[in-house]
Amino acid sequence: MFGIAPAMAQDAAPPADRTTGISGYMDFHFNKNEFEDARLDFHRFVLLVTHNFSDRIRFVSELELEHAFVEGPEEAGELELEQAYVDFLLSRGFNLRAGMMLVPVGIINERHEPPVYYGVERPFVDTVIIPTTWFETGVGVHGEVGRGWRYRAFVMSPLNAREFSAEEGIREGRQRGSDTNIGRPAFTGRLEFVGAPGLTAGGSFWTGRSGFEFRPRFDVPVTVGEADVRLTRNRLELRGQFAYVTVSNAAELNDALGRAVGVNPNIASAMRGFYGEASYRVISGARAGDVGLFTRYENFDTQYRMPAGYVPLEQFDRDAFSIGGTYWPDPDIAIKMDYSIIRSQSSAIDAPNSFNVGLGWWF
Amino acid sequence: MTRMFTRFNVVVVTAGVIAAFSGGAIAARQQKPQVVNISVERFSFTPSEFKVKAGQPVEIRLRSDDTDHGFRILGTDVNVTIPKRGKGVATVVFEPPKPGRYTFECSKLCGAGHSFMRGTLIAE
Repeated sequence: MFGIAPAMAQDAAPPADRTTGISGYMDFHFNKNEFEDARLDFHRFVLLVTHNFSDRIRFVSELELEHAFVEGPEEAGELELEQAYVDFLLSRGFNLRAGMMLVPVGIINERHEPPVYYGVERPFVDTVIIPTTWFETGVGVHGEVGRGWRYRAFVMSPLNAREFSAEEGIREGRQRGSDTNIGRPAFTGRLEFVGAPGLTAGGSFWTGRSGFEFRPRFDVPVTVGEADVRLTRNRLELRGQFAYVTVSNAAELNDALGRAVGVNPNIASAMRGFYGEASYRVISGARAGDVGLFTRYENFDTQYRMPAGYVPLEQFDRDAFSIGGTYWPDPDIAIKMDYSIIRSQSSAIDAPNSFNVGLGWWF
Repeated sequence: MTRMFTRFNVVVVTAGVIAAFSGGAIAARQQKPQVVNISVERFSFTPSEFKVKAGQPVEIRLRSDDTDHGFRILGTDVNVTIPKRGKGVATVVFEPPKPGRYTFECSKLCGAGHSFMRGTLIAE
């Protein structure tokens, strides 16, 4: 293809490019957990729609149907508006964003298209400690300065501490943009370096008062701190992530929820997770596609630190060792397989191992 | 035929080069272009900022590590597709007509962080 096109200075730009785009990704899974029947699940059907009002004003949306079928409140699936924001692109270094946005914490939350990560399911740390996909309503700024220093800083709706749990930590506390309480907004931000080929290193935080259902008796300040790195050298890719969550006034929260429902929820005052992953493309550039193998070790503990008077439930201090591979017949299609060995610190209760096969694609 | 697809190349010649063909700036046409290699993945260009000389052609070579992306320089007609991983390199020859900052971006929706894919070409 050879074309000739005149170029113009930016102050003599042609008319604004008013375009609408549609794209998406899908995830189809086979899951076989130890001691359970196998399951087939059309896990995700996601459509992205964008529209450029002009070169500097852009709308982006992501609508996700999980588990194929929605009936009542999460009985079967979920229909989620994960993104719906308008970007005001002022300059490379400073831009404004408002609407439904992804929380900029962790590797997977903002980068979760099936072909770009190994494993049929997302890492446990990115599910239990960082509640991926984590999205909320808010406003904020983002940009990139220097040779690849990128930042995001958003004011967003806080978590709802009433929904925290011993097993899944803060995950069910996401308000998910549905008529959210914004009495005391949360703040989140990320700084990352993307200036060297194959390297992305970042750190992020989230902090907010999440006890709006318990004020003025007490509040529940929550802070999430996270650091991650991705390094790619030829066929080798290494990933690492560490995340730490603190829940202040967890004793008061447990007491209040215990009185309300009659069961102590045993919510921790701190949760911790980390993982390391190594992968290698054993076949790359072949006519039939690429093949990659990976291994990942994860530790995720939603009972890492307990408030005074509470004992940790050891079955929620877990390790996972996963091995598997991905075959890409096309860079946008991933056929995945993995096996995860999951262990907990409890001698009485153990998590089941799992065998998974998945087909994911992006278009 | 396969080779044609796997060695996908795109060349965009700027107004400056057109002017050179029309006479006058023969010296500019004969200049060896500056070359910038950019690696592209969801959701970044690396490097995302680089300097070139105004009034001289720069050859920008873009290679994707995942899906196909777009490369568009705002305010110009430069807008090409960067082929998927393993499918070749997109090459753009651009001559910034005057000093300034030229913003470029991914012009093909490529995922949740598509809007972050922006960069700056600084012509001095």
